Amino acid sequence: MTITVADLPPTTQAKSRQQFLDQVAAFERDNPKIKINATDSQWEAKTFAARLAGGQLETVFIVPLTEPPGLIKRRQIADITDETRALPHADKFESRALKPGTGPDGRIYGLPTSEWALGLTYNRQLFTKAGLDPDKPPKTWDEVRLAAKTIFEKTGIPGYAQPTTNNTGGWTLTAMTYTHGGRAEKEVDGKQVPAFNDGPALEVLEWLKAMRWEDDSIGRQHLRNGADVLKDFSAGRIGMTIATPSTYGDHITKYNGDPAMFGVTALPSGGTAATLLGGKMAVVSPKAGTAERAAAVKWIDFRYLRPKYDTTAAEERAKANAADDIPVGIPAVPFYQPQVVDPVLEIERRHANVPLNSFKSYAAGVATQDYVPEPPVAGQDVYAALDVAVQAVLTRKDADPATELRNAEEKVAPILERAQR
Amino acid sequence: MTELQQRQAPTRAAGAATRSAYHPPPPRRRFRRGFGLGGLITLLPLLLVFGYFGWWPIGQSVMLSLQQTNLVDPPTWVGVDNFRYLFADPLLWTTLRNTAWFVVLALIFGFPVPVLLALFVSELRRLGGVFRVLVYLPVLVPPVVALLLWKWFYDPDFGLFNQVLGAVGLGSSSWLQSTATAMPSLVLATTWAHAGSTVLIYLAALSGVPSELYEAAEIDGASIWRRLWHVTLPHLRGVLLIMLLLQIIGTFQIFTEPFILTDGGPEDSTVTILLLIYRYAFLNGDYGMAAALSVMLAIVLATLSAVYLRLTRKWSTT
Repeated sequence: MTITVADLPPTTQAKSRQQFLDQVAAFERDNPKIKINATDSQWEAKTFAARLAGGQLETVFIVPLTEPPGLIKRRQIADITDETRALPHADKFESRALKPGTGPDGRIYGLPTSEWALGLTYNRQLFTKAGLDPDKPPKTWDEVRLAAKTIFEKTGIPGYAQPTTNNTGGWTLTAMTYTHGGRAEKEVDGKQVPAFNDGPALEVLEWLKAMRWEDDSIGRQHLRNGADVLKDFSAGRIGMTIATPSTYGDHITKYNGDPAMFGVTALPSGGTAATLLGGKMAVVSPKAGTAERAAAVKWIDFRYLRPKYDTTAAEERAKANAADDIPVGIPAVPFYQPQVVDPVLEIERRHANVPLNSFKSYAAGVATQDYVPEPPVAGQDVYAALDVAVQAVLTRKDADPATELRNAEEKVAPILERAQR
Repeated sequence: MTELQQRQAPTRAAGAATRSAYHPPPPRRRFRRGFGLGGLITLLPLLLVFGYFGWWPIGQSVMLSLQQTNLVDPPTWVGVDNFRYLFADPLLWTTLRNTAWFVVLALIFGFPVPVLLALFVSELRRLGGVFRVLVYLPVLVPPVVALLLWKWFYDPDFGLFNQVLGAVGLGSSSWLQSTATAMPSLVLATTWAHAGSTVLIYLAALSGVPSELYEAAEIDGASIWRRLWHVTLPHLRGVLLIMLLLQIIGTFQIFTEPFILTDGGPEDSTVTILLLIYRYAFLNGDYGMAAALSVMLAIVLATLSAVYLRLTRKWSTT
């Protein structure tokens, strides 16, 4: 039997690619009845539908953490609960790591390959230039506002940037709303309805509006998605922004950023210690048969989970990544409970090639935070509607945050109703 | 009539007369039979290619607009449900308004610019070739690359345009950051990117205007504007009408510019019909809704084209 798997590293990451291919060979040796075809294709929303309909989708493919809820609802990924329960340490999974791939029916549809809690990344060099202490990053949104103002006054560089397009505005607004104790959706009579039109989201929008029009500390470019913001961050044009610590990888490898510039801390609080998860999951094609599905989950375990519970595999992976200059040692969400994961973390720390000091306050902060999941129904629609609210307060001086949230609610309510019919 | 036509004409007429004496069926039917099998066999490859790559997907889209599917399980027929939800989506009306606004702006600014550029280049006695290349150059730049450049031009904090405006003491503009200026900014980038191809078509049409007419007009003392009005434009009429129709159809389908430059923002002020179709299909995975809106757009454009061609038939020279 042959299965196809995505995620083969590109030729530019020679050692990681070779390591992947070596793993394929090792897997085939251990499982002589399974043959693996590896491709270097990446998840792309634009091509997914055509590849799925045309039977070109890999048996195992990797998706961003924002995708599983929609894919589960449309039954476009396979149920892998039974296969997952047969894996080593299946009873010791960290439930919050599995949650993004778990359906409303409690079944498992995806397994994590990398997960990080959203935090606040900041430019350590700009902090120093502005007279701020880079080892004491802001812990609350009020402190972020003050720091942004200082950075802009002292350096002329926008102190903070908020993603606003491609649903990243709504996504980050939702995370910020969680830190004020709010939610994007709530359950009423067994159905999810919009919940963002109340105090917490309003506080966030008022905060953004004040930064833009009272302090004028966040520049005038407010039509950017998360990736655009990261690009500008690496170019030294932004003081702070919301992102996962894994963006350090792109900062170094993609945008040639200075490692000494990168700082990250836990998502600031608006009264509640909370955050939202970002990262990737491995999922299985809905067209895979029973045997293919079993082989697929076996591969996911071999490639992605084993280095998280097996110290030998963890060491091999850390060495290969470090040799390819891929960051090792960025604090991630553990997939397993401490008794399984602690020895592995120790190995990773030994091979770390990132400035661990820069991640210290992040690691300490997220340890106390509640990981709130994505909105369970039509999350992308909620984010799209909230994008508009964020754009409104940042690009129009007379925009009223309360009206914007009301408009977003009117837009989202029928969509949620339709999604649950 | 050319010499060749003059020589052939009597022969053809005589042959037809001879045949009709022995074979009385009407000419129309004879044409069909003559065309029949041979013509069909010649056409077959074309019909198959067109059918498979053109008409079959069109038929599939129409079917998809009446279905709900996840592309895995067999699709469910939902009648006109997709259309009903489409009309209930408040974003649809915003999108239609935005697209109409873009079409109007693109016609006001984008339509005359290539005509004027073509007239300017064709009037040049020297350096005409250089200008032709310069005008066509933007078409050679891959659209995404060009638009990323425009994104930087428009950046309100670090962009080229605001730096230039600031340097000459004109302050700065919001460009893409305001609901009022975002759409005109998209039109500017679109016109820059697409004018080159249209200019070439107009230049080709201009080269077909007989020079004797200009000479006669000059001898009659006609000014440059009168020559333009009475000689050039009447000769360009057919091309102008077709280009106008193509531009209307093309601008209704604007996608890349808002997708790259604004992603529909700020505040949905640049969400166009195609961007909404993209969001339905690829962000929400609702292929039925995407197909329903595509079918609606196709019907509107086909109707518009038919009405336009009918209305302009008597002015057209083609």
